[in-house]
Amino acid sequence: MKRRAGESFTVGDDIEIEVLEVAGSRVKLGIVAPDSVAIVRKEARVTREENITAAQPVAPDALAALAQRLWTKDLPASPPPKGAIS
Amino acid sequence: MPQIRTAYFGELDYSDGTVFQFPNGLPGFEQEHAFLFLQQPHTQPLLFLQSLTNSRLCFILLPILVLDPGYAVSLEPDDVTALRLAPGRPPVIGEDILCAAIVRPGGGEDGEPTANLMAPVVVNLKEQIGLQIIQSGSPYSYRHPIPLGKEVASCS
Repeated sequence: MKRRAGESFTVGDDIEIEVLEVAGSRVKLGIVAPDSVAIVRKEARVTREENITAAQPVAPDALAALAQRLWTKDLPASPPPKGAIS
Repeated sequence: MPQIRTAYFGELDYSDGTVFQFPNGLPGFEQEHAFLFLQQPHTQPLLFLQSLTNSRLCFILLPILVLDPGYAVSLEPDDVTALRLAPGRPPVIGEDILCAAIVRPGGGEDGEPTANLMAPVVVNLKEQIGLQIIQSGSPYSYRHPIPLGKEVASCS
């Protein structure tokens, strides 16, 4: 499908997407969809999902193993944030 | 001195001056606004982003330069404002800002740990304000493999 600015298309019965503006490599879209349809940038959705998985607790030995595999590398110095509690 | 129960390190003392504010929380955890950074000698160079209000919530982070010494974060003007950084001057990692990747311990298809370089946690070190920066069109992966260091026999 090819669309120009001002043209639109639909997805299913309830969703309409219009190309509002094309400027260089950026495209501005207008989306009409029911309230129940969440519209987020893909990278935001991916980040949310990755965060939720990353926040799952890790077993202490897995934590130590993770640190150990990094510790053996030559690491550039990296100051901790002020007030980091150790 | 207030105490906090942490996800990994038991009870710790902290002072109010060491609390970092995340006004937007983090994606998936929008209600969590206050965090502490924790570090432990035996888990260096990992950093831990511990929620102040939810003791079970603790993200494992890696300073991003550990993974990629040439890493460059792309901040939008809105990000610079939200972080209260000086406009017009790119912030220096390690001086103005902390830039760290959230680690997913078993993130890869093979169960190997990965780090989200596409959306780093960026903190204004002076103002103690943090934000997770979701970069669009980023060349960096959200599942960057964490390289295996020299194999060391486990003796713990």
